[in-house]
Amino acid sequence: MKRRTLLTATAASAAAASLAACGSGTPGESKDDAAEADGRTPIEFWHRTFTPFENEWYAGIVSSYNDAQEKFFVKDVEVPADAWDQRVKSAQAAGTMPDVYTDPSTMDEGARLGQFLALDDLLDAEQLENLTDQAKELVTVDGKVYGYPLLLEPQSALFWNKDMFEAAGLDPEKPPTSWDELYATCEKLLPTLPDGAFALTTAGDQDTFAWATVGQQFQVAGHFPITDDWSEADAEDAQYEELLGFYKTLREKGYIPKQPLGAYVEAKAYGEQKCAMMTSGSWAFSEIASDYDDLLGVTGIAPFPTSDGDLSASVATLGNFKWVIDAKTDQPDGAADFLSWCLAGDVANLVPFFVGTQFTKAPARPDVADAVQAAPEAADAPWSAVVSEDIAPASVPTPSYPWDILLAMGKALEKGMNGEDPAKALSGANGEIQKVIDREELAGKAPRD
Amino acid sequence: MATSSPTAQGSPAPLHSHPPRDTRITLLMLAPVLILLTIFVIVPTISAIYLSFFNWSFYQESEFVGLRNFVNVLTDPEFRAAIRRGLLFVLMTLPVQLLLSFLIASFVTGVGRRLATTLKIAVYIPTIISAVITSITFALIYEYSGGLLNAAVGLVGIEDQAWIGDVRLALPAIAVPAIWMGLGLMTLIMIAAMLDVPESFYEAAQLEGANWWQRTRYITIPQMKNVLLYLLITGFVAAIQQYELPLVMTGGGPLDSTTLPNLFIFNHFRGDTYQGYSIAAALLLFLVLGAVSALIFRVLNSEKLVD
Repeated sequence: MKRRTLLTATAASAAAASLAACGSGTPGESKDDAAEADGRTPIEFWHRTFTPFENEWYAGIVSSYNDAQEKFFVKDVEVPADAWDQRVKSAQAAGTMPDVYTDPSTMDEGARLGQFLALDDLLDAEQLENLTDQAKELVTVDGKVYGYPLLLEPQSALFWNKDMFEAAGLDPEKPPTSWDELYATCEKLLPTLPDGAFALTTAGDQDTFAWATVGQQFQVAGHFPITDDWSEADAEDAQYEELLGFYKTLREKGYIPKQPLGAYVEAKAYGEQKCAMMTSGSWAFSEIASDYDDLLGVTGIAPFPTSDGDLSASVATLGNFKWVIDAKTDQPDGAADFLSWCLAGDVANLVPFFVGTQFTKAPARPDVADAVQAAPEAADAPWSAVVSEDIAPASVPTPSYPWDILLAMGKALEKGMNGEDPAKALSGANGEIQKVIDREELAGKAPRD
Repeated sequence: MATSSPTAQGSPAPLHSHPPRDTRITLLMLAPVLILLTIFVIVPTISAIYLSFFNWSFYQESEFVGLRNFVNVLTDPEFRAAIRRGLLFVLMTLPVQLLLSFLIASFVTGVGRRLATTLKIAVYIPTIISAVITSITFALIYEYSGGLLNAAVGLVGIEDQAWIGDVRLALPAIAVPAIWMGLGLMTLIMIAAMLDVPESFYEAAQLEGANWWQRTRYITIPQMKNVLLYLLITGFVAAIQQYELPLVMTGGGPLDSTTLPNLFIFNHFRGDTYQGYSIAAALLLFLVLGAVSALIFRVLNSEKLVD
């Protein structure tokens, strides 16, 4: 009996000891975190899972900040990208949002709802001024700055496989610039491709069409599907019908697959050479470099073709990732200190990010952009200036009207691609948009010119 | 009903100022379940009903909007379409599951013990595989370029199909893994119910010269009525609430053709600025489920078996 008691006590002690060694008792916090945070004010930072290089950079910048000062200790939490929305929503409902997090959305709605802390009183005015005009516009609502952008990235660019172009008798250095050239290129590529491969991949579902084609919508029609003062829907336009017809042609001619080969944000199908050209955000180049490096040397990147071949007006929507401070943080000073040290401070903190992501993202600060272009690696990356000079500056910022309006156009595009009469699809979108305008009383609420 | 309590056996029950021991033990054993139900079901339900009358955005004072969220949901054609789609999905999955389970169970109860065990294990394996893993597996099977199914149909000269990219095919394509996943549990329950039917019924029928169909029609199915009712209700609720498969395999597309009710609500939860709409939609779905379940009970009329 005594022996059994002794054994039980030993087992319990061992279990307790191993549990203690496992963690600090705070969920998600490792023992090391707890030890290093000792006596320092904790700050929590959330970001999505990106490419392996980006994840390493995020972990590295947090670690560098923790080493650089002794007042605050930042805990870096990487959230799987596909779980981000529900995790954030649940945390917002429970009041457990992190102090700082990354955010790609437009600022207007969050600012209106009071989700973000304004940075004007927390960061130096000089730091807030040191942004490109495009970046400033993205984070400013009614004269106040609600976030600090890390990067700008065009959400659609054309990637092509130069070897496949050559095999089809095409000039590997000359990507198509207009819709007609794109059709002709696809026509030449198709007979030369292996079974199961396609000439091109594009967005294929309403949600992706909604955000990835805003630039295209603006380029073809010269306006958004809502009047400038947000009082009326404006989707019934013959130019939009042409855009729907463009995707219908791509589908009907078999240039693009009837079922997406993968997510628009991923380069997997292109990496596996199931397509000769790919439409995706500029970030796809980072994935190619990271996961399919044998294709890096034969991949070109260019602005996506426009309806008339005029590339001075980009058809890309301008995406971004900015860091924001949650309005309910109880450590606004610490959060601002962390944010400004990482993004608004030493240029050397940011240059490795843009070099490591293969120059496929445009910096939000002019001094960082200069330093990135001056990096020795830029000489070995002939595409390095394409994103920051050819695509991003002409890109269209994501409009700040409600998501349901973007989605109505996305749905119309998917319907058009699937063969529905474009005029009918756009009429449906127009009705949906007007419903949103009336429901949310948007008339006169347009925040920008 | 037989009982071992002294009262039922005719002994005079002593007068107690406190509950009898059996009652106390019953309450004690029920307590964990009641506490958990209160924490995870009753309180959240009451809270959800309360919140459904508000515009709730987490960062602002909630605004009382009365029944507006319910009106918005009920007048939303997309919500009604999602409910109709859910019912269609039930029709695609539940009858097939019931029929296949019944046939497999009939077969299993008629074969030798070793083969029966092997069959039971084989049919139950899909039940223990996570729905997400199943979704990914079937998405790979349905891949347009390089997918197993297109390779198979290609062997008989049929061109590649967009199994989960075509509006007409996507919902049936999702119904297949749903049937596969639900088959195991349903079959095991049916086997248990079949083994519970007294053997003497079948012996008597056999003496009368009844064939397999007559034995099934007049003995097996009536004796399994309550089990079938249970499977019908739980199968209906599980099918209409399915959301992992469309979430992972299609994201609800193409053109919302696989947006089942729970995915519709989930998408609103993720995307809406205010949460009142998704809560109201969830409560209305609860009413739909309750109403249909009650209807099934009423039509089939559960009753106690008579030995």
